[in-house]
Amino acid sequence: MKGFPTLSVITWAPFVGAVLIMFLARHRPLLVRWIALVSTAVSLALSIWIYATYEREAAGFQFYEELSLVPPLGINYQLGVDGMSLLMVLLTSIVIFAGVFASWTVKERSQEFYALLLLLVTGVFGVFVSLDLFVLFLFYEIAVLPMYLLIGIWGSSGEVRPQGIFGWALRRTGVGTKEYAAMKLTLYLLFGSAFILVGILALYVASGSSSFSFLEMEAVRFDPVVQSWVFLAFYVGFGILAGIWPLHTWSPDGHASAPTAVSMLHAGVLMKLGAYGFLRLGLGLLPDGAMQWVWLVGTIGCVNIVYGALSAMAQTDLKYVIAYSSVSHMGVVMLGLATLTETGLNGSVFQMFAHGIMTGLFFALVGLVYEKAHSRAIFSMGGFGQMMPGIATAFTVAGLSSLGLPATAGFVAEFMTFLGAWQSAYSWWLFPGVLGAFLTSVYVLRVAKQIFWGPKSADPHFQHLPDAQGPEWVALVVLVGVLVLFGVAPGIAIGPVDTATMPLLLRLGVLP
Amino acid sequence: MALEVGLAVLILLVFVAGLAWRGQDKRRLGVLVAIGLAVLLWMSFRVEPGAALFGGTFVQDELAIFSKRLFLLATILGVWASLSLRAPTFARRATEYYVAMLASLLGMLVLASARELILLFVAFELMSIPLYVISGFRKREEEGVEAALKFFLIGTVSSAFIVYGLSFVYGISNTTDLAGVAAALQDGHPLLILGMMLTLGGLGFKIAAFPFHMWVPDTYEAASTPFVAWLSVAPKAAGFVVMFRLYLEGVGAPVILWVPVAAGLAAITIIAGNLMAIPQQNVKRLLAYSGIAHIGYMLIGFAAVSASGVAMMLFYLVAYLFGNMGAFFVVEAVAQSDGSEAISAYRGLAQRSPVLALCMLLFLLSLGGIPFVAGFWAKILVFQAAAEQGLYWLVLVGAILTVVALFYYLLVAKRMYIDAPERTQPVPVSPFLALSIFVCVAGVVGVGVYPKPLVMAALRAASGLF
Repeated sequence: MKGFPTLSVITWAPFVGAVLIMFLARHRPLLVRWIALVSTAVSLALSIWIYATYEREAAGFQFYEELSLVPPLGINYQLGVDGMSLLMVLLTSIVIFAGVFASWTVKERSQEFYALLLLLVTGVFGVFVSLDLFVLFLFYEIAVLPMYLLIGIWGSSGEVRPQGIFGWALRRTGVGTKEYAAMKLTLYLLFGSAFILVGILALYVASGSSSFSFLEMEAVRFDPVVQSWVFLAFYVGFGILAGIWPLHTWSPDGHASAPTAVSMLHAGVLMKLGAYGFLRLGLGLLPDGAMQWVWLVGTIGCVNIVYGALSAMAQTDLKYVIAYSSVSHMGVVMLGLATLTETGLNGSVFQMFAHGIMTGLFFALVGLVYEKAHSRAIFSMGGFGQMMPGIATAFTVAGLSSLGLPATAGFVAEFMTFLGAWQSAYSWWLFPGVLGAFLTSVYVLRVAKQIFWGPKSADPHFQHLPDAQGPEWVALVVLVGVLVLFGVAPGIAIGPVDTATMPLLLRLGVLP
Repeated sequence: MALEVGLAVLILLVFVAGLAWRGQDKRRLGVLVAIGLAVLLWMSFRVEPGAALFGGTFVQDELAIFSKRLFLLATILGVWASLSLRAPTFARRATEYYVAMLASLLGMLVLASARELILLFVAFELMSIPLYVISGFRKREEEGVEAALKFFLIGTVSSAFIVYGLSFVYGISNTTDLAGVAAALQDGHPLLILGMMLTLGGLGFKIAAFPFHMWVPDTYEAASTPFVAWLSVAPKAAGFVVMFRLYLEGVGAPVILWVPVAAGLAAITIIAGNLMAIPQQNVKRLLAYSGIAHIGYMLIGFAAVSASGVAMMLFYLVAYLFGNMGAFFVVEAVAQSDGSEAISAYRGLAQRSPVLALCMLLFLLSLGGIPFVAGFWAKILVFQAAAEQGLYWLVLVGAILTVVALFYYLLVAKRMYIDAPERTQPVPVSPFLALSIFVCVAGVVGVGVYPKPLVMAALRAASGLF
């Protein structure tokens, strides 16, 4: 398929789906779902195809496409994938494919829901495949904005507290409501994007070339002072999206308020945008800045791991538990990046994938449980394992992956990351990491025991609940299958990822 | 000159037609005006940049032509939307309204070409005085009179500032020719700088930069919305053209003098405009304050004192024209239907009139700077120009305050999309307004998806200044 714009098709297929849904499927909910399904299936099929045909020996960026957008300003539509982005594209297409099934039962205004969801996915794909920094930023913004409406309209109002540095401004949107969570999330992420923008413009000016192309900037050795502060700008900007402490408070609120598919996509994929952007632009373009600041990145990563896990232990709302566990796991990702070792970086990228699938599965399950039992309060539920064995099994698999049991993807990722931490210049990072894994097993097993495997609740509402049905099974089977497959055969993912991390480490000068 | 002469003929034509018109309702005169302006706009695409006339006082360069197209486009949209006004006063006195608007437009056209202090000032006043008249058009209403008086007093004071400043300029440089002033600037005489700064203050009133912005919210709130839509764009654009001519054109190295002033003015305008917009409950006031913030963003391009800075400001102006005028037109449509300009009137608009709500959302997103609508490119390009000048702190301030802007834009979006509607019947939109809104949407999306031609045109327009 030489000359076929594969990456563009992957990126824009959901967008085309969104447009078709808006114009063709008014008041026809089933057609809406089929269009969404077909458009995401196209992306999924092509993602698997590029994953299979990516030439590992050649490495570098492949499936390259270029189109000139604004030539006098050096803005080009430039796409390409290497081993890392390949895995992220695959992750995105799997999660959204499952997400379409998981939200099959959305009743209210489903046409707009699916259209916005697909628009969001276009933005996510775009960030992973674009090689032009400007286009990357453009897609990044698209990935953030639909979230506001998705959470604001279809979210659920829960117990949301006004926290964080924007608490005062957000009081106007109504504290404790989905509108509040939506606004908080949007503003935090856009606040981050302001830093990213400044960083990108600074690199553009400092590189002296008239192009935003990543490939050209990669060849430039920037001034160490510029590197230092641009690195921090990228760290704050992308870090907010990756949920770094103490700028993570948008994420539990947002995830807990969002509808199922949006939580899946957001925790599963969007937070990875932050980590990926940080890895690609922060570590990839600014080696000196990275060397100077990794101690901060890694240490905050450790804080994330432990703090997130402790917060998750204290929650009584099922969705908040999963949301805080995301904060904890993203800490593992950032820790892995900060190790600057081959094992650590591979582990970190693998953790992005593993956590994306796992947390997607978690949120899908929480959504299903809520739909059947209309409750998210952990301690009022009990003994669901007898009534919904399928959901219970899937939850347990996700939980075991979360705490890092061998034969699941989570194990491979955490093991490699912690090994990398031990090999790095700051070997004490290992201990908070392992402590976090231990705490994870406490809160995950506690939740699994209480809801699914413990004694049955006496509450009359929780009798005779059905198991997953029809399309919902597809989401569960796909996600559980991927989780186990990559746990048993991690080489499928590590191989291509390694081709991308090696040149990066060479540029950083940490390889002999 | 062809455009100016053509416009003068059109003014006379409208005037005579208004006298000859039988009957009370003279609104349909606007069709004549719009057609005439459309012909002029078409002519403006035939005009070639030519030599200076009248000993260099009147130039028809790329910048002049670009800005004239912008003025004409804005006026066509404003006039066409005004056709939907239904107040009886307006119907009876439509001739005055249109003639005043056209006279002001004539001032702008001359202003864009003026390269001499006296002509510049005369054109400036020709532009400003009709604006005072139209903003007090609803003279039976107290707010209307108050707003017009406020606008008039502040406007004339700022004109006095400008003349006072220009008198210093003339005193030092001994010429009213702008090329001569630029030459005199090379010595950097303190009194000349003082004069230029005074003039900048006066211009600050006209473009409504902070702290010279007080007239804006009141005037916007009281005057009729289609006029406000036009007022918020065209005269400001004209003010910027004057700034280019006075401060940048042919000045060379001393332009560096303006960087700290312009950057400071830009930063404080952005911060103040965006923060003051947050508590507003009236959409017109909200748009007024957000408009002040947008002036600040455009000043970022001015602070870059480079050809690309000016070009990106021109680009920004076009994006702002479509986004801001479109938003005001939607406000007018809702006000005509529900009689309210409060933000709460937008509750559930997406379920009452999905298309109108989508248009409003696009305008707001464009003003907020979101990809695939025009405002995104405008903001980014202005930032890029500033970054090239090394003004990273200004870019950061601008980018962070964009988040604040999106906060209040999204509050309106929340009303439209998330809240449940109070009434169920759709908002009727008069065909005139509908067409204007459609043009604005087409502009916002078109420029947003394919910005290249406009960027090229803007760069060409700015290339002659340095």
